[in-house]
Amino acid sequence: MLLKLKTNAAVEISSSVNNFYCLKRFISRTVMFAVIFTACYAGAIKSEENKTYSNSQDFQLHGFISQGVIDVNGSDFVNDDGELSTELTEIGLNASYQLSDQFRLAGQVVYLDGGNRYEKGFRVDYALLDWSAYNSESWQANVYLGRFKNNHWLYSSSRVVPFARPSIILPQSVYFDGFRDIAVGSDGAAIKISHSNDDFGNFDFTLSYGRSPVSDEQTDILLGGIAMGVAKQDYETHGSFYWQPAFSPWRFGFSLLDSDFSYQENAEFDFFVNSDFSFQFYTINVLYEGEHWEFSGEVYQQRFVIDGFYGPDVYKESTGQGYYGQVRYKLTSDLTILARYEDFYLDKDDKNGQKLEQSTGGLVPYYFGFHKDVTLGLNYDITSNFSARMEYHWVNGAGRLTPVVVPNSLINDSEDWEMWAIQLMYWF
Amino acid sequence: MLACLVTSQVSAIEVVTHPQVVESNLTKSQLRRIYTMRQLRWSDNSAISVFVLPSQHKLHKRFAKEKLQIFPYQLNRIWHKLTYSGLGVAPTIVASEQELIQAIIKTPGAIGYIDDKTLIKIKQSEITISHRNIDVADMEDNQQVSSKGVVNVVKIKD
Repeated sequence: MLLKLKTNAAVEISSSVNNFYCLKRFISRTVMFAVIFTACYAGAIKSEENKTYSNSQDFQLHGFISQGVIDVNGSDFVNDDGELSTELTEIGLNASYQLSDQFRLAGQVVYLDGGNRYEKGFRVDYALLDWSAYNSESWQANVYLGRFKNNHWLYSSSRVVPFARPSIILPQSVYFDGFRDIAVGSDGAAIKISHSNDDFGNFDFTLSYGRSPVSDEQTDILLGGIAMGVAKQDYETHGSFYWQPAFSPWRFGFSLLDSDFSYQENAEFDFFVNSDFSFQFYTINVLYEGEHWEFSGEVYQQRFVIDGFYGPDVYKESTGQGYYGQVRYKLTSDLTILARYEDFYLDKDDKNGQKLEQSTGGLVPYYFGFHKDVTLGLNYDITSNFSARMEYHWVNGAGRLTPVVVPNSLINDSEDWEMWAIQLMYWF
Repeated sequence: MLACLVTSQVSAIEVVTHPQVVESNLTKSQLRRIYTMRQLRWSDNSAISVFVLPSQHKLHKRFAKEKLQIFPYQLNRIWHKLTYSGLGVAPTIVASEQELIQAIIKTPGAIGYIDDKTLIKIKQSEITISHRNIDVADMEDNQQVSSKGVVNVVKIKD
């Protein structure tokens, strides 16, 4: 009887927690939609009333809203039950205000729901002071202070913006969703220097220094729910260089990242111990933009060092490598098809994951050591600011699923998995 | 007669600026720098305000290809990156050619583009903008609005 009472109480509590969670989710979505529509409406009114345009460059309001459906079969990339999911929501609102000739304020708030891919909810995507330190006909130097976006990889600055990236799901080798909130930007300072030369083309150099807050959910995504301690990023130094020859359809770039993380064990109880993580990430990229054909590719190498964590004397160093090649073809000016191949492995000395399986006594299957993805996609621009997109992925390997450190091999019991997604996107 | 036929089929695109803009001609590279937001100031250090039509507008597509030698999707990419990642400010998009010409007339430092046929249409209907008539006297002679008028027509050199 007592047992039954206990069970009932537990069910009730869990259902009320569930209801509360649903309600919270509903309210937060409703509020976000209301804000977006009010902003759209206010923007429209403003432009109706203020036809002078004299201030149009001083204050700008922009945003985007997108919703899709995604179905994953054979992995927990989005959800655990493998059902069709609507956890593909991306909403953003940003403002830019020119304070003076040299100073500008800018910020963006986004709401994201990607299921298991990253933490669901609102976040401040960027909030910065932009100081235009030097400006001439061929040189520009800007200093950004505050929370700025990672501007170093081909799609890192626009990965949150559905219509500005090439596909619904980006190549996970470089743009790993499990690492998204740390890689997407930093709190600190960045400098961007651009030079345009009639003979030699355009040069862009960016250097940034800062750190990203690591939330509890982000810790769970990376380390798994059994890590009871606190993870934090100590610093991140990131630099990149891009060159586009004069009037050329080609652009070339590279980036270097160096970052340290630390983990502080829970003093009362923890499965893991205090540790330092060191992470280096290098990319080389190329982009070709023709009238019909477009090609892009990134090759990268990462070095990951774990000092501690599994035990006080553990020191583990691994070098991961990956690349992707992507082709897009414009069938018409509004209809684009995409084909992409990517290949990634966690350890260059263990490309087939056999050592991984052996070292964990079979707990982590070999296919967690790599990730290969063949993607086909279609994008249709319905109007100048409304697009539809669909794509299909054939994936081999579980190397880019979350949690990372303690993988879930119960749900992810298959080496091959597939997914498809459809997304509608509107922006202003 | 033949020349007349040719011009009626393939209209020219003119680059126009606010009358206070000091530049009367620009090189192709300069125009490209301005539209890719790599040059933000005129030679007198005043801020440039860039105006464009929506990306699917026929005139915008022609302007991008013919005058900038960039495909419209490339421009979108550059501008989206600026607007949605906080790096900078993208051009202001206006819905129609008439709105675009109004914006240029009213915004100091403004630059935009217009189909010369539209200029003629504006002339014919004599649209009143801001209680001022467009100065079309010179246009009849030169097929364009003169620098003394309400907008400058900028000459684009190679």
